[in-house]
Amino acid sequence: MTATANGATIGSNVQLRAVTKAFGAVEVLKNIDLEVEDGEVVVLIGASGSGKSTLLRIMSGLETADSGQVFVGGIPMHEPKRAPEIRGHVGMVFQQFNLFPHLNAMGNVTLALRKVLKMSTNEAEAVALKALTRVGMQDRCENYPSQLSGGQQQRVAIARALAVNPRIMFFDEATSALDPELVGEVTSVMRSLATEGMTMVVVTHEMGFAQRTADRVVFMDDGVIAEQGTPEQVLQNPQHPRTQQFLARVFEA
Amino acid sequence: MSYQWRTVFEYLPEFLDAMGLTLWITLQAFLLALVCGLVAALARNSRWVMFRLLAGAYVEVIRNTPVLLQIFVVFFALPSVGVRLDAVTAGVVAIGVNVGAYLCEVFRAGISSVARGQGEAAQVLGLSPRQTFASVIAPQALRNVYPATVNNLIQVLLGTSLLTAIAVPELTGVATVINARTLLFVQVFALTLLLYLILSNALSFAAGLLGRVMFKPALDQARPGLWPLRRTRPSAIPVEVSS
Repeated sequence: MTATANGATIGSNVQLRAVTKAFGAVEVLKNIDLEVEDGEVVVLIGASGSGKSTLLRIMSGLETADSGQVFVGGIPMHEPKRAPEIRGHVGMVFQQFNLFPHLNAMGNVTLALRKVLKMSTNEAEAVALKALTRVGMQDRCENYPSQLSGGQQQRVAIARALAVNPRIMFFDEATSALDPELVGEVTSVMRSLATEGMTMVVVTHEMGFAQRTADRVVFMDDGVIAEQGTPEQVLQNPQHPRTQQFLARVFEA
Repeated sequence: MSYQWRTVFEYLPEFLDAMGLTLWITLQAFLLALVCGLVAALARNSRWVMFRLLAGAYVEVIRNTPVLLQIFVVFFALPSVGVRLDAVTAGVVAIGVNVGAYLCEVFRAGISSVARGQGEAAQVLGLSPRQTFASVIAPQALRNVYPATVNNLIQVLLGTSLLTAIAVPELTGVATVINARTLLFVQVFALTLLLYLILSNALSFAAGLLGRVMFKPALDQARPGLWPLRRTRPSAIPVEVSS
């Protein structure tokens, strides 16, 4: 548990109750209920437009739900006044990396440490080096994002998120923009995080990762959770016709 | 050297003084333009409607009226409302305010050119909106607009020649005086052109060097083709700096 400015503590669990979200006339999320427990690895799968990324963005505070309740680490994200409290306590890894191109790997990781956690440069660099070592990028501290491969950039992005000591990590299609041969280096970092007990919510199309790492697989279809369960239940023995259809298409490809 | 050229070169000290004044006016006006442009760009992105309207009016009025007229307004019309400026100051103000309106649009485009994901990444990391702007958005915007901003610096330099209309002894003004005195049109204006060329190339060369120092990784490495000197003036590039 880490303390926030007003003394509250932030946990590592997520509770969504009857969450809805629409963009204009399009209902992206319809009455979603979801719980993620401390240390759990939940993988969200589903077709494009099924609402999984939006759900992740609501949990990380980048979007607000139209209705329903969202508790992330105990913070009521549906209360606009309190939602900002989550900032800096969760980590988010994006499909497009979103590394800061004007800063080198070390600069990317130390920025929040210096600006938000008010560490000295030395302190911040020590913490950043640990985070970069954790993702195997300790030898590339001086490199700028444009000088790194996609997989290396994504590992730096993970280090950047980890450095602030987040309670929960969100991965939004973290490997979708990578060349196939670079996917492995990122998923293996993600797997080691899961092994170390990090609470993770992962949107991915990598069924191998879901199979091997997820505690629970959630299949979303058209804004609702159509099916969820262990990887074996959902991936090997899907009950819902839409899940069967989706998986058949994924494994066909 | 022919007699005509020798005569013109006797005026070289006058030309150099005028060149110095031109450069001085350019730097002051450009500094004012940077401030006006930045303030207006922030105002146009402001939460408050009043600021947005004011900045919008500024940009539209300035960009849709002639510069020469704006110079006349500052020099001849402002005194009647109690603002009395000498010719040089009036010129600095008129040109600075004018180019500021163009820079406003450049800066605004630069700010909105920074990918949305950059701000989102900073937000999740816990940076406040102000910190996000200062540490993430502004440095990237600056880098994106640098070549265009250097173009505006040159625009200021060339625009100072209009101040001849309010009798500022800058390069063009002094050239017309010497021309009237000697009637050596070809020699006088050829020399003047050469001096402007030297000034503008020196300014963009200096701006290019400054860009090399300011931006890491180097502009040309991160975004091919954005290096201001290389694109506009290939020969002005100094030695290749390896990173």
